[in-house]
Amino acid sequence: MIGDKWEEFAKRVKAGEDAGKVLDDLGVKRYCCRRMLLSHVEIIDEIVRFYEKGTMEKEDVM
Amino acid sequence: MDLRILEKNENSMRFVVTGISTPLANTLRRIILAEVPCMAIDDVIMIENSSVLHDEILALRLGLIPLKTDLDGYNLPEECTCNSELGCNLCRVVLTLDVEAVDETRTVYSEDLVSEDPNIVPVSSKIPIVKLAPGQKVRLEAYAKLGRGVAHAKWQPVSACAYRYVPTVEIDKDVCDNCGDCVDVCPVGVLEKTEDGVKVVNEFECTLCEDCVDACKKNPAAIKVSGNREAFVFYIESTGALPVERIITEALEIYKSKFKEFANQIAVIRNGSEKTD
Ligand code: SF4
Ligand code: SF4
Ligand SMILES: [Zn+2]
Repeated sequence: MIGDKWEEFAKRVKAGEDAGKVLDDLGVKRYCCRRMLLSHVEIIDEIVRFYEKGTMEKEDVM
Repeated sequence: MDLRILEKNENSMRFVVTGISTPLANTLRRIILAEVPCMAIDDVIMIENSSVLHDEILALRLGLIPLKTDLDGYNLPEECTCNSELGCNLCRVVLTLDVEAVDETRTVYSEDLVSEDPNIVPVSSKIPIVKLAPGQKVRLEAYAKLGRGVAHAKWQPVSACAYRYVPTVEIDKDVCDNCGDCVDVCPVGVLEKTEDGVKVVNEFECTLCEDCVDACKKNPAAIKVSGNREAFVFYIESTGALPVERIITEALEIYKSKFKEFANQIAVIRNGSEKTD
């Protein structure tokens, strides 16, 4: 299962660690598992941003 | 038939079975992948969803969360006496999700799902489901049911299930000139170059890729690899839904009942033809 490994993977890679080493560390061995994490783009962050901003603007108006 | 366990971890097992045929090994593999039931969220009733994910995507993500399964406590919906679309207490478990982001953006995790049965819960608590911006809310009821992999991959109890032949690697000492080409090319380090010729040091790890045979300049090659067609190395990795042992015994039970049904069918055909004779 890799679903619960994404956040740690993303955090550690962002902090500068080598992606391959992090995957080894997390016990993600098969290349089909590894590519899921390696190639994942967290698009939801890009979209949620607009709603965070929207909320702020609403507050500003009020 | 002989069975030897090579390695066993919490959710995975590697073992060697000797004395069975390839069709039987493959039948077991296919039953495990497609027919051993496990629990997964199927129907989802959305009460409120103001997240950025559409209802369908949210429901798909919920479906793919592996759930700890209690095979003895629940019926397969198609075998349940209730015959109802959303099921009854004997064939479904209701999990509810009720999360709102208040001051800051938050991630909704599998642990936020509240199950009515403490035995049927997500295998891992930290699977992200969706991110909510302040003010966004998700409220839903999810119905988990037993199902089989043949209908949807979310009902596969395994994340890996494969077998390979037990390998044999032989080097013809009379032909081999100890050039070492095969040693360099082997991806898993089966071979080692020594003073008195190339040695097979790690035979079991051989994947039967035959790169060594291609690399050998002798014609015919001085190295030969072959798989034992009656001995299999199995690797089974559970998603955490069921213990590996239970997956295997369940697969064997299913195999037995299929076989019985087949025998019955043959008996029916034979009786029928006797009558027409
Ligand atoms: S077949 Fe492949 S894995 Fe096996 S010894 Fe030759 S190169 Fe190594
Ligand atoms: S490549 Fe062929 S000749 Fe060279 S060491 Fe290997 S088996 Fe011997
Ligand atoms: Zn029922």
